[in-house]
Amino acid sequence: MTRRTTPRARLAPVSRRIAIGSAFALTAGLALAGCGGGDGKPQLSVSGAYMPQPVTQDMAGAYFVIKNDGATADKLTSVTSDLSKDISIHKTTGNKMEQVDSLPVPAGGQLTLSAGGNHLMFMGLTRKPTAGQKVTVELHFATADPVKVEVPVKPADYRPQK
Amino acid sequence: MHRRKLLLSALGATAALGLTLTACGSGDGSDQPIAQVSGGTAAKPIVTLDSPMEKPDLSLTDSDGKPYDLLEKTKGHPTLIYFGYTNCPDVCPTTMANIAVAVKQLPAAERSDLRVVFVTSDPERDTPAQLKKWLGGINKDFIGLTGPFNKIQQAARSVNIGIEAPVKKKNGDVVSTHGAQVLLSSPKDDKIHWMGMQEATSDNYTAALPQIIKGQNP
Repeated sequence: MTRRTTPRARLAPVSRRIAIGSAFALTAGLALAGCGGGDGKPQLSVSGAYMPQPVTQDMAGAYFVIKNDGATADKLTSVTSDLSKDISIHKTTGNKMEQVDSLPVPAGGQLTLSAGGNHLMFMGLTRKPTAGQKVTVELHFATADPVKVEVPVKPADYRPQK
Repeated sequence: MHRRKLLLSALGATAALGLTLTACGSGDGSDQPIAQVSGGTAAKPIVTLDSPMEKPDLSLTDSDGKPYDLLEKTKGHPTLIYFGYTNCPDVCPTTMANIAVAVKQLPAAERSDLRVVFVTSDPERDTPAQLKKWLGGINKDFIGLTGPFNKIQQAARSVNIGIEAPVKKKNGDVVSTHGAQVLLSSPKDDKIHWMGMQEATSDNYTAALPQIIKGQNP
């Protein structure tokens, strides 16, 4: 008698995500299902941000880690900066990089952007940043408020300590 | 469905290399003889091949628009070869920058003996002028090569580097691939004896190049 069927609140977001029909809709859906309670907001913090000094003014990449201490999953949906009007989010599969609409930030987990993996791509830069400078970017999410990040520009061969 | 196939074949290409390069590179690609690598694979950033490979036989166009015969021009010179594309914010510039940092620290005579060759995997966008501009931001002595994609892919395959033709998606975005490793050949026999992994840092290249230039294992 006390046994309950799947709560309604859990079904709703899952089915909505399936409707989107993308590959990570599934993972995002699972993450939501995994943590049950849907009232806690995502709590995001960004660390380890850097931009390797770009080769030309044509393009640059940037990396960081977004930690989510909240009980709700979120998604990085877009990025804005005065450095470029054309900033896209990329994932890397094998050695092939591909633009995506968003990247999931799982509840109680993190989204990692790192060399050879997920990354931001800035096209048509307004200037060519050099090592030692900083680039301000604003990260936009599906749920959480935007987060402003000061991204330090590092030498082109920079590798973060693991 | 079509795109899925492409992605799968990309994974297959990585797996065919038989080297643990990325988290998603595991598989059982067995249609090609894999490069025999001594010692642990993932742990060593620059590995020595048990069986050296022939340098790829490539006649392409350099960044000045002139014909460039790789075998002829690099004969007797220690040579680094990398397949990549300039429209790449991530791995390609990092790899080339790592090499450039190491090369800068070599004595002038060794520096001029060395050939660093960047072969584009995206020839449609990487024209000689584009290569010249991009390499100029890294090291203007580096050689950039472009030409028919099929020719480049075939040459890459001959040295176990999997690259695929860039695919234009509906939204206009181009999906390109780059090789995962840098090939390093000895001046003694003009054969590829070493591979720089994607994880190799500028420090790794700085430590290894002085030996490799002499044809010795780093």
